[in-house]
Amino acid sequence: MSLPKISRVPASRLLSAVHDPRWPLRSAAPLAVPKRALTQSGYRRPGQPREDKPPWQRIKFDFSKGLEGITKHFKLLRQEFSDRLVGPEGKPIIEHMLEQNRVIWEFRGPDSLQEWTLSSDREIGGQSEIHLKLGKNNETCFLYGTLQSAPPRDGETRYSGYCSMRSKQPLVSFDRKKHHDWSSFNTLHLRIRGDGRPWMVNIAAESYFTHQKDDLYSYFLYTRGGPYWQDVKIPFSKFFLTHRGRIQDNQHPLWLDKVNTIGFTLGDKADGPFQLEIDFIGVCKDYAHTEDFAYEVYKRNPEV
Amino acid sequence: MKSTRCLLQLVLSGRTAARINELLLSPATSRLSVLHNQQQQALRHFRCSPASAKSRPVPARSVDEDKTNSTKSLATQEDLFEQVPEESKTKATFNQVIDVFTKRDIRRRGHVEFIYAALKKMSEFGVEKDLSVYNKLLDVFPKEVFVPRNYIQRMFNHYPRQQECGVQILEQMESYGIMPNVETKVLLVQIFGEKSHPPLPEDPVDLARLSLTRIANDLDSKITVYQLPCTDITESGEEIQLPHIVGIQSPSQMELLAKHNPNKPVFVEGPFPLWLRKTCVHYYLLRADPTPPEEKEEEVYDPERCFDYPLQLDLDLDRDLGDDESFDVDDLDEGPVFAMCMTSQGDQVTLNQWISGLQQNNPILGKVPTLFRLDAGIQELQAAAQPEPGHSHPPHPETQREDPQSDEDPEAVEEEESRRSHGMKQ
Repeated sequence: MSLPKISRVPASRLLSAVHDPRWPLRSAAPLAVPKRALTQSGYRRPGQPREDKPPWQRIKFDFSKGLEGITKHFKLLRQEFSDRLVGPEGKPIIEHMLEQNRVIWEFRGPDSLQEWTLSSDREIGGQSEIHLKLGKNNETCFLYGTLQSAPPRDGETRYSGYCSMRSKQPLVSFDRKKHHDWSSFNTLHLRIRGDGRPWMVNIAAESYFTHQKDDLYSYFLYTRGGPYWQDVKIPFSKFFLTHRGRIQDNQHPLWLDKVNTIGFTLGDKADGPFQLEIDFIGVCKDYAHTEDFAYEVYKRNPEV
Repeated sequence: MKSTRCLLQLVLSGRTAARINELLLSPATSRLSVLHNQQQQALRHFRCSPASAKSRPVPARSVDEDKTNSTKSLATQEDLFEQVPEESKTKATFNQVIDVFTKRDIRRRGHVEFIYAALKKMSEFGVEKDLSVYNKLLDVFPKEVFVPRNYIQRMFNHYPRQQECGVQILEQMESYGIMPNVETKVLLVQIFGEKSHPPLPEDPVDLARLSLTRIANDLDSKITVYQLPCTDITESGEEIQLPHIVGIQSPSQMELLAKHNPNKPVFVEGPFPLWLRKTCVHYYLLRADPTPPEEKEEEVYDPERCFDYPLQLDLDLDRDLGDDESFDVDDLDEGPVFAMCMTSQGDQVTLNQWISGLQQNNPILGKVPTLFRLDAGIQELQAAAQPEPGHSHPPHPETQREDPQSDEDPEAVEEEESRRSHGMKQ
């Protein structure tokens, strides 16, 4: 071997390092490959540098907030214990067994708006806006904003223009996750007043594997527009499985025993203002609806 | 045999059993049909309709005119292809068969079966991988008949058999790995329509009609066009464009308006957005505040109104927890909506015209004060509108329609203010 052994540098690093005068001095630190896998680290806006701080460096300590937090969590814990004495989920057992309708979200005060998170494509650099406030008489929630489908100019994103409102994950004391148990119901009932735009309802259920994290069960919500309220009933058997926005080939019905969040998305490629008023969101048990699942479960392209 | 005209004559003339069966099968009265006999003459019988002829097998025709058949049994479309002798099964003869079919009948009856038969026979003729042949086959469909013209047709899978047939052609193309070209696309568009969704009407009056029927809650609502778009010449000689005014009101809304208390005002609110696919139109409402609970009258049922069953029952029955189908939420009472309208120019003058048009059917509007609550920003408002008898003050600029009423104009009529300050908001 007459040639000396040259250390192998990955091609991408060579390209980026051409402009860097300190190249020979820089140690072989990890450059663009994140420590955590792509699906775990959440969304990174294209163009922003990746943060690779180890988890212990990400916590911030604050004493007064800590004290507030402790009192809040212990109160919640005490509430939980007393709820168990009344019955499952804080209701007497006869009510829990026989109830046919349950109102999950009702917008009757400013506190109800705290349960919801808004997001739009502003996070990826687009220009859509979304806002949430209470409607007339503090009786309804009013979701409004503007949709712009011009994609952000970062070289990576091709499509843009979406706005969404998602409920926050319900939490028990000490920020533990609590799930909605809708196993005794089979229909989602919404009372809304839209402006004619087609929305999409997304339900996120608790999953076991990490790559199922972005699994959503969706269905369409067509609003009629006009001054009259619209009652929308969507059976849970109609929700189809999507992952990161793409409809999956292998479909299965939504399991209702551990539902995390529900959300509404608008992405109908029509630029302009939008509005949606929601009176309440409830679940009900429709005895006339006997369908298990609306889509085929068998394999469409079976390997022979 | 020369053309015969009536059923009896046909029987007498000794036609074959197949023909008689066909004629007898077609259920009676007042329909027309065309049958071909061997001598290429069209027999018109006034008992059968063209529509039923599609599902009936057409008796086979020979490609070469000298061949004659005795049609003793039901012949299928495939016979057309089978009659071509083995040696001459080429693309040219295939095209010839298609031509024979298309020229035979201007209405192309039985084309669905013909196309299915052709698809099956393609491999015998060796043309299954030829795109031009597929295009020619698509050409067999009559154009523009199957294009859905409104949303109901589109919704209910207009002409499903033809659509399935078209899909079958495309599927066979796909299985042989053939890429369609522009001609295929043009043909499909001509046959089945641009999209499966018909476009929105361009004319603003039609668009207004469509959207008003969509947002009206009542199927009995009637649409009235109060004004069509036209140009008018004012006294000073300049031309102004008058906008269209289309209104909608249902009989139950008329009743509600008739029962409205004349001391309380009605509001003209707007413009509210309505999206129809990608277009946004705006509509205006005529509504009133909800009656406060103390002033609500109970509707007394006249027992003589209906003798079939009692309208009111005095039973004290309660539903069990497991049978209760209503949600435990308070009912929102937002006040009745009396009418809706759409116009391109939402200023007070135009809306006044709408109100006066409504007044013809609802005389109470002459006595009730009408307030205008129009949003600024979307439409241009007149700077100062002339106060008219019975009508109130100039429009109140608002940034959003949902602003609470208490923020509004101090210039309102006094009776308004006192009533509005108590959360009787809409």
